[in-house]
Amino acid sequence: MKPPAPQARGWLLPRHELALLAAIVVVFVGTGFLDPNGTYFNAWAESRDIILRNTALLGIIALGASVVIISGGIDLSAGSMVAMSGTTCALIMLLFAEGDDRRLVTVGSLGIAAGVGGALLSGLLVGTLHTWLITSIRLPPFVATLATLVGLRSFARAMCVFVTRERWGSESQQIQVNTPAFVWLKEHNVVISAVVFLALALLTWLILSRTVLGRHLYALGGNEQAARLSGIRTENVKWFAYCFGSLTAALAGIFLMADSSVAQPNAAGRNYELNAIAAAVVGGCSLQGGVGTVSGTVLGALFLRLVIDAVSKLIKASADIYEGMIVGIIVALAVTLTQFGQLVQAGGRLFPGLRGLAAIPTIAVFAGLLSMMGSANVEALRGRTVPFGSAVGLAVLLLLSAVRWLEGRRTA
Amino acid sequence: MEPIIAIRGVCKRFPGVVALADVGFELAPGECHAICGENGAGKSTLMKILSGVITDYDGEIRLRGAPVRFSRTRDAERAGIAIIHQELNLVEQLSAAANIFLGREQRTPLGFIDNAAMERAAGELLAGLECPIDPRIPAGTLRVGDQQLVEIAKALSLRTDILIMDEPTSALTEAEVARLYRVIERLRARGTTILYISHKMDEVFRLADRITVRRAGRHVRPVDRTSTTPREITGWMVGRDIAGHEFHGARRRGERLLEVRGLTLPWPEHPRGYRLADVSLDLHSGEILGVAGLRGAGRTELLETIFGASPPTWSGTILLDGQSVRFSHPREACAARIAMVTEDRKRLGLFPDLDVAANVSLCSLADTLRGGLVSRAREEALVAGPIRSTGVKTQGPHAAITGLSGGNQQKCIISRWLLTHPRILLLDDPTRGIDVGAKAELYQLIDRLCRDGLGVILTSSELPELLTLADRIIVLAEGRLTAEMTRDEATEQRIMEAATTL
Repeated sequence: MKPPAPQARGWLLPRHELALLAAIVVVFVGTGFLDPNGTYFNAWAESRDIILRNTALLGIIALGASVVIISGGIDLSAGSMVAMSGTTCALIMLLFAEGDDRRLVTVGSLGIAAGVGGALLSGLLVGTLHTWLITSIRLPPFVATLATLVGLRSFARAMCVFVTRERWGSESQQIQVNTPAFVWLKEHNVVISAVVFLALALLTWLILSRTVLGRHLYALGGNEQAARLSGIRTENVKWFAYCFGSLTAALAGIFLMADSSVAQPNAAGRNYELNAIAAAVVGGCSLQGGVGTVSGTVLGALFLRLVIDAVSKLIKASADIYEGMIVGIIVALAVTLTQFGQLVQAGGRLFPGLRGLAAIPTIAVFAGLLSMMGSANVEALRGRTVPFGSAVGLAVLLLLSAVRWLEGRRTA
Repeated sequence: MEPIIAIRGVCKRFPGVVALADVGFELAPGECHAICGENGAGKSTLMKILSGVITDYDGEIRLRGAPVRFSRTRDAERAGIAIIHQELNLVEQLSAAANIFLGREQRTPLGFIDNAAMERAAGELLAGLECPIDPRIPAGTLRVGDQQLVEIAKALSLRTDILIMDEPTSALTEAEVARLYRVIERLRARGTTILYISHKMDEVFRLADRITVRRAGRHVRPVDRTSTTPREITGWMVGRDIAGHEFHGARRRGERLLEVRGLTLPWPEHPRGYRLADVSLDLHSGEILGVAGLRGAGRTELLETIFGASPPTWSGTILLDGQSVRFSHPREACAARIAMVTEDRKRLGLFPDLDVAANVSLCSLADTLRGGLVSRAREEALVAGPIRSTGVKTQGPHAAITGLSGGNQQKCIISRWLLTHPRILLLDDPTRGIDVGAKAELYQLIDRLCRDGLGVILTSSELPELLTLADRIIVLAEGRLTAEMTRDEATEQRIMEAATTL
């Protein structure tokens, strides 16, 4: 599954993917049994649909992010591309709707085709713009896509306001999309987006591991100068990578719009780019380029969504408050774990010197506060959140201090 | 006299490999001790232990009689040991002075950084090393030789009395080498002990008091310089006597492949104004054309321009089989069956994340397709041929390329290009950083390819290499062609004269 991988291979799947798979099973089973409401048993269909839909949406973007990252670049603009694509699709359909139809019910199949085609085309255009900025103007990928991250969302909002004013005579920041085809898509969203995600994963795998283009992507990410001197048209390979990145985001944008029945350039897809990059990194992509697999990214996306889902079930808090923290902790943990072996082998320490000493109370305070906030949602601990949080903080403090002490003895 | 460093029974194992086995030797205070050995003989591992980079090893190191164990590089610095690495360790954006005092910045009484004092001190240190540069200019803009002296100045400011130098002349011009020799003499006069790692015999025999030869992780023996010969040392290094190779007999020169006339490559940002000026050459099939010249003379630029890898601003004509060509991308040169093995393997040739097979097949993936997709089986079959014929020693096609020795990596890159069925092979300093044994194998390979009818252009920073391999030699000096000679006319003396005439 990973063609150019000199690292250890397991049976069928490389070791990293196996570890992820094991982690997924653990989280899944753990959530199933620890959830006081037993949601996975009582309302399995509903839980399954939420997980599938969210994983597919994240995974589609993460596949694009992986290709860009493997080629040695980065695409920060995916979230804005999601908004841009949904808005483009809705606005084009609006032009095909009857004049006073503000819910886009009257859009025919021609209008739908034009809308979807236009949305995907906007992805191609943005990808091309990125490639031009990066290869011709020689902007670093981080800067070029940071510019579009900020710029595209604003552009989509301006477009939305402009078109609605011209068409309806009154400005609107969002567009209702109740076109029958999209309503149907919404009703079957879980199955369709999951199938599209898997098909796209298969296609991406085929490209990355079985085509010349895929090999060139790995070569470009591994050593750009050597790739050029080997006769690879590196600019064209980059063009593919950035277009693929923007196209997947555009595709996800259409699904998101269909799912919410509204194109909201202001809110749609915010922070999706970071989650997608996180999924790719958790899945084993190296931000240095040249390393990464489709199977890893798929499992990374699934793992991220499962953990977010688990937390929302276990502490009954709204998932979006905790989502950022979860993603942050998982990314740091996943990369730490993959490097842990090297760290220990090189005789490195987790908490060396003064820095290490300062890190221990920091982590303990975070852990304590988190458990305090989390315990507020647990029946048995209600009213005792402060002592509980303090106890956890203290325990972490003692545990890490012990780790540091043991490390000191080992290396002394 | 008590040794300043005594190493006893030091072993270092990496998973699956013993990098150092039972190393033991002593350095006497003030001596210059050379370590010679093929690449992969454990020299760098030994250095990493001595500088505190590798901390888990077996055995004992005694410094001035007391056992020491460095747990980080700072410890080694404090103990007075400094290393000048082959790849220099400077922050290119910072000034020379800031680099010298990096991590030990001097401060004003108010606690602010005292640039003036550091620049003054750096200037004095550098002046003492015959390096009259302005300590305020960024290290990245200095010539390699000057950068190296900045590192030596840094070592001196650390009150170093043991200086380890790893192939310090590999990137220097002749004049810079001569200056480095004088600096080393001066350091020795101050009592600095020097551990000098090199596989260039003339340097070793010029500088060292004693020589230790290492082979495959083991010491062969330490000897006094006066009691041995370069030939004996190289024999120990490769474990056999290498006879001087004589290849140029009975090569059959064929039709003219390549004709370069009046090639000029401008260099706007440089006072000289050009990288190449009015260079002309001919290449026939079945011959090796050697390109001699000092570093910066334009050897690489000449090959890159032919290969379509230089800026498209060049003028002049390049005729391939009598047809004028002007490649704007290496891809077009590949299509015209020209191949180029680049100078800096790590930076410009290798793909560290790809395995051996993928590194070799990269330019000929079109031959591995089955139904439009890359077939792993076909790929393995394809690369097996050149891997065998060039003699790459690897555990298999899916081994990590980074696990191979420099010589085997280079053979992989040559294999990559052989798969494109080239008629013209451009080799840019192909044996740089490769040990003696592997060099001999590469020479035989290059000779065989030439006899198979390839036209080869070979640049080298080592004159004996050109004299061994080339049928004709052209000499570049500061971008100009200053001599062309047949092999029978060529001597090191004549080439060096042409390379230094302007």
